[in-house]
Amino acid sequence: MNKFKTIAAAIGVAGMAMAAGQAQAFDLGVVAFQMSAETQARCAKTVGAEAEKLGWTAQVLNSNGSLETHASQLDNLIQKKVSGLILCMSKPVQFDGQFEAAKKAGIPVITISSGASPHTLFDVTPNEYIMAAESAIYLLGTINFEGNVLVQRFESNTGARIRGEVLDVVLKENPAVKVVGSHSMARTKSWMDDVRNGMSALILQNAGNFKGVWASFDGQALIIDDLLREGGLKKGDVSLVSIDGGQEVYRRIKDPESLMTATVAIPFEDMAKSAVTMMKKIAVDGVAKTDLVPGPYLFTPATLVDKSNVDKFLK
Amino acid sequence: MRLKSFIEIYGTFLAGIALFVFLLIFARNFASTANLLNVLKQVSFLSILAIGFTFALIAAELDLSFANVCSLSAVVIGSLISRDIAWPLAVAAGLAMGTGAGLLNGFLVTVLKVPSLISTLGTSSVANGVAFMITGGVAFVGRWDKDFLFIGRGKLGPVPVLVIITLVLIAIAFVLSTQTRTGVHMQATGENEEAANRSGINTRNCKILGLALSGLAAGLTAVFLVANLSSAAPQMAGDFLLNGIAATLLGMTMFTPAKPNVLGTFVGALIIVILSNGLVLLGAQYYIQDIMLGIIIVVSVAVSASVLKRAAFAL
Repeated sequence: MNKFKTIAAAIGVAGMAMAAGQAQAFDLGVVAFQMSAETQARCAKTVGAEAEKLGWTAQVLNSNGSLETHASQLDNLIQKKVSGLILCMSKPVQFDGQFEAAKKAGIPVITISSGASPHTLFDVTPNEYIMAAESAIYLLGTINFEGNVLVQRFESNTGARIRGEVLDVVLKENPAVKVVGSHSMARTKSWMDDVRNGMSALILQNAGNFKGVWASFDGQALIIDDLLREGGLKKGDVSLVSIDGGQEVYRRIKDPESLMTATVAIPFEDMAKSAVTMMKKIAVDGVAKTDLVPGPYLFTPATLVDKSNVDKFLK
Repeated sequence: MRLKSFIEIYGTFLAGIALFVFLLIFARNFASTANLLNVLKQVSFLSILAIGFTFALIAAELDLSFANVCSLSAVVIGSLISRDIAWPLAVAAGLAMGTGAGLLNGFLVTVLKVPSLISTLGTSSVANGVAFMITGGVAFVGRWDKDFLFIGRGKLGPVPVLVIITLVLIAIAFVLSTQTRTGVHMQATGENEEAANRSGINTRNCKILGLALSGLAAGLTAVFLVANLSSAAPQMAGDFLLNGIAATLLGMTMFTPAKPNVLGTFVGALIIVILSNGLVLLGAQYYIQDIMLGIIIVVSVAVSASVLKRAAFAL
């Protein structure tokens, strides 16, 4: 009986401690769709850290790339009556019902690199069209606008799809550059294996017959860099260009062994900080959204990083 | 009834109630009607899939294909709706896809004598491949017919339509498994196939029916998922495999210990979803949720395994 009382008391104390943790002034829900992607993890962690600097509680959730899990987590946070929601790489059409429910419940929602929704305040995003054009033209420049290239795409994400479509426009205007192999990443949960399998086959099939590789995001480029190195290629043999940015990519641009040539650095940390700042201004200080962001997007500038400026980005 | 056997039959159920009471006391907003209905809606997908798996298990067969078959059915529905086919036809096609996959499993197991562990893994892989073939890896997304979306997002008063449908389906499954001659024959087949055969039960048909019902449940869940998310993607039900098995194993630790049973599976699914919802309301970070789910799975497998072992020794 004494044991039972001890256990009951311990559960009670634990419960009270958890309940006390819930009673904060501003309770921010943060959900990342797939935190195994470095960019999403950076984004969600920065949002959490910035919120805590303001004295808010920030609950960070990871949907593990599952649509249904993401929907359930949003539903649960709405039921929790969080003060605000910041979502990293969410999907406005699929979660239209959840976004609408949040709006009805008076919960402001800011998304990051997700796309626009009539039920959210706005989406903090880089201009995908500009970044995609920069990366595509840079790659073609490194091969003197002629020769063969391999392409690694990702159609399921709006931003990555736009990047691929802009690449196609650039290629159409430069017919001396030919795509000899293209792979589209399909599996979001096991995406690393998918990229490795698809690109290793293309690299083998086209060995010695391509001068450049374009990847729709840096996570893919890192895997491709490993494959190229496993194939015995050295820096300068092939140009490898992608988009996103991050310390590992910068390190490889600097590394004489790596084939990583350039990336377009998206300031995910700045975007996350911006989302928290805007949330404070709108939800806490009462500034009208239209006074801060006139349309559905808050654009942030991105920078092309190659060997000429990589030192500025390396920490 | 002795205390020991009472705990053996109702122990997990009581633990579930204890969890419920704990969250009622300590998790802010857990007890609200909106949240409890939200929990019931979330449990719909998992419980229907897990009950399908339970039917296969009642007939002593494992169906490891249900999650991928569900994803394939979803893709079939999404593909047809996005081609402007009337949604009732698309739903019928999705249900036919699920049931057809279940019947195929039944054929492989009973006619070709391939063990269900192997045959359903094979079906699972084929379903996954076909889903990717149909979609090319890109999800079908759209703002589809409101009448169709009403199945997944609609409400009758405050109650989600999905909750009503799920409760009706669970009641039908419960009656079928316990109150009908077919259900009794399936149980007899699962408990001792040879004895069931000798007593004139068509065990082959029972196994085919168990696997077909699992497929049908996958098809039904696909309809609900697509209607809820207004999209269909390959692997969209992937996360349900582990949770569905966990719910069924949890269910086997209560009411009729060591035997798969519909009511136990529903309560098992409810415990998993309540835990997930409660952790969000308590402010737990994402990694805590994964850890807790892992512990639940290990404990449920350990408990059901020990109950199974005892049952085996008692024979």
